[in-house]
Amino acid sequence: MAFDPETAARLAAGIGMGLATIGPGIGIGLLTGRTSEAIARQPEASGDIRTAFIIGLALAEALALYAFVIAIILLFVA
Amino acid sequence: MLAEDSANKIVESLHELNVQRIVEIPKVGPFDFSISNVVIYMWVSAFLVFIFFFVVARRLRKEPDGLQTWAEILLNFATGHLTGQIGEKGKKYYYLILTLFCYIMLTNLIGLIPKPIPLKGYTPTANINVTFGLAMVVFFVTQYQGFSRHGVRGYMGSWLAPPGLPKALAPVLSAILFLVHFMGEFFKPLSLSVRLFGNTIAGHLIILVMLGLMLQYASAIVIIPAGLFVVIMLLFEVFVAFIQAYIFSILSVVYIESAIYAGH
Repeated sequence: MAFDPETAARLAAGIGMGLATIGPGIGIGLLTGRTSEAIARQPEASGDIRTAFIIGLALAEALALYAFVIAIILLFVA
Repeated sequence: MLAEDSANKIVESLHELNVQRIVEIPKVGPFDFSISNVVIYMWVSAFLVFIFFFVVARRLRKEPDGLQTWAEILLNFATGHLTGQIGEKGKKYYYLILTLFCYIMLTNLIGLIPKPIPLKGYTPTANINVTFGLAMVVFFVTQYQGFSRHGVRGYMGSWLAPPGLPKALAPVLSAILFLVHFMGEFFKPLSLSVRLFGNTIAGHLIILVMLGLMLQYASAIVIIPAGLFVVIMLLFEVFVAFIQAYIFSILSVVYIESAIYAGH
């Protein structure tokens, strides 16, 4: 059974999106773990730690969102 | 038949993401100046932000009442990290960062309120043009800061390899670092806009698809879990609306700071 381009694009969007969430998932998990460790160790510095955490979170999350945009392009434009 | 029907119901529920023209204005070249629901909701949120701070500013007191307390909490939250990151030089960016924060948070929240069909609901931040426009403002402020504070030579020079390297290595490293920095400057607004756009539209898509499923398979097995999921997701979206505005403002501060202290 041969793929027509539309089916291929939909498959690529789904599989790509699933694969793209792996890396940021691991990254955000590590980040959250280390942040709670750091806050537990030094509760008085929790404000600074939280700021750094949110910046890191945003940067890690952006990777999955790039894939999300590509998936949308594949679904609706390609 | 069933497959076609289900596609229709789900696609129908996704129509909320369509841009609808309200006042038609003829095209000027490739540009379309028609007033659409996106523009209307942008105006509404800008107007609300303006009215809120206008009212608060008119009745400032030594002992803050309820409204002023809220405004002060917002100000502290949106710009508290500003002096911490940039120092005294950051004082004049209070307005920009506070406006960006309040505007983005309000547009996100306005999109979460369910609206009847005649109001043509839309979330402006779920449109990449809007978020890219906001990111371009930050980009131009950043570059203006860099060039006006350090001059073309100084600012571009801060992208090269640091002094003190061996003579043979420096030109090669400089070329590589210059390219990396140059591309990085353009990727900053791109990642800012894509992040806001992606977060907003992803939440809306998930909620709308779940609603479409509920409309299509009108049985308790689907409606109960999907309805619960929608409620939880909506609550999470309120949190996301807030955190994305915070991330946008804090990253703007980080970018502006990197231009002000270029080369350090």
